[in-house]
Amino acid sequence: MIKKIIMLAMVTSFFSSCVVVKEYEKVNINDPDMALSEKKCDRNLSTAHSYREAAVGANGGKTGGGCGCN
Amino acid sequence: MKNQLKNIILFICVFAFAKVSAQTSQDSTKVYKKRVLETTEVDFLSSYYTQSGDNAAVSGGIGTEALTDVTGTIVVAIPLNDDDVLTIDAGVSAYTSASSSNVGPFDGAQPADPFVASSGASSSDVWTNLTASYSHSSDDRNDLWSAKLSVSAEYDYFSLGAGGGYTKLFNEKNTEVSVNGNVYIDTWSAIYPTELRPFFGGNGINNSLFTQNTITGNANYNPIFTPFANEGRNSYSLGFGFSQILHKNVQGSLALDFVQQQGLLSTPFQRVYFADVADSFIDNFQLADAVERLPDARFKVAVGGRLNWYLNETFTVRTFYRYYFDDWGINSHTASIEVPIKLTDKFTLYPSYRFYNQTAADYFAPANENLSTSDFYTSDYDLSEYSANQFGFGVSYTDIFTKAHIWKFGLKSVDLKFYQYDRDTTFSSSIITAGFKFVVD
Repeated sequence: MIKKIIMLAMVTSFFSSCVVVKEYEKVNINDPDMALSEKKCDRNLSTAHSYREAAVGANGGKTGGGCGCN
Repeated sequence: MKNQLKNIILFICVFAFAKVSAQTSQDSTKVYKKRVLETTEVDFLSSYYTQSGDNAAVSGGIGTEALTDVTGTIVVAIPLNDDDVLTIDAGVSAYTSASSSNVGPFDGAQPADPFVASSGASSSDVWTNLTASYSHSSDDRNDLWSAKLSVSAEYDYFSLGAGGGYTKLFNEKNTEVSVNGNVYIDTWSAIYPTELRPFFGGNGINNSLFTQNTITGNANYNPIFTPFANEGRNSYSLGFGFSQILHKNVQGSLALDFVQQQGLLSTPFQRVYFADVADSFIDNFQLADAVERLPDARFKVAVGGRLNWYLNETFTVRTFYRYYFDDWGINSHTASIEVPIKLTDKFTLYPSYRFYNQTAADYFAPANENLSTSDFYTSDYDLSEYSANQFGFGVSYTDIFTKAHIWKFGLKSVDLKFYQYDRDTTFSSSIITAGFKFVVD
């Protein structure tokens, strides 16, 4: 497991070596469907998952606490 | 293990700050300062959720899990000035639950049965939440600080939360690193199954519940029951994020979350039936041998990533993967894909698929399989081994010019979605969500 996490950390360093996209080239990146987060209307779905599934976190949502759930 | 995790956190911090120092110089050019949020935005979010299943934790892993929930939330984001935004988030969630009604199944209306809802007060509840968030952006929009406070309450649970975060953008806003922390101070008002209550400070088997009903099976009913001494639950989370634009059409992100929970992590009204204790019944309902007992600490780690690809003007691909593990023995994989399809400049379709699986917690066993000699035990199937498939479909309407108005509110977008979720057990659920976004003129 630890190896996997370290591998992921290494992947991040490769990410940062990519070419720089200029502001005027970010039309597609700025499309709302390209957002690196869940849509607001999916928030109640994520809450349902956090109640009924053991796994939480790493998705920008709730990570634990604030409810009597798992 | 803890030392290794500490090293990983250290590594990521060093990595993040090294990159920040390396890139800051090229972002020093003074740029035009655009308001972070042009005008007040209001989101109305609502959902209708239903579920069914035959493994209710309240009745020890046997019984109906039927539940419906209606949630309504309003989120108001107010620009205080060019740099600062205040967000108020208020929500109410009301549910009716057949399984939680069976905290007290002996209502006399019909024979007690774990597959039949009873009419007790525990059959419904209302959860309310209020969260206030504040964010501040630097002049060059490369630094973002945020803080939040939250309070939520339901009949048997109260929570206070506080959190904060910092985000740094660099590399001409192609790269972003973030760190955030949250603390929740929660308190249970523990409610126990009705048949156990006479066994602590009561008259035990001489209680009217047992004298007015006939106990079948083991007539010498003698459960293990001591109320939980500590009803507090504290949760501490620390999260790290990294995102990168990889190409003018592709971007990705990685997230790493650590959560430490302490206190009452058991649910006080969830029954357990032991293999080494003779079964007792009233009507068709098996009387609790005990309530679940889980350790008073849990450490969770989740690492996840997103990769989004703008294929063309019609199709976008959104993917997500997460690996999760904790020190209760649960390992889990989550993977999802959503393909937004733009039909016109106003309408978009959202087909999606999500896969989830998890291994069982060390303390889980089905009904009548736990041992009374164990330190910890539960028959909560949310902590069992299972896999689940979820299919979703949605439609979105967007009008960037907000032509439609209700008073001073211009309608910017409407989202409607439906999801069907099925485990490889008897559990399934569905949810309909709706979101309306308005901007104030």
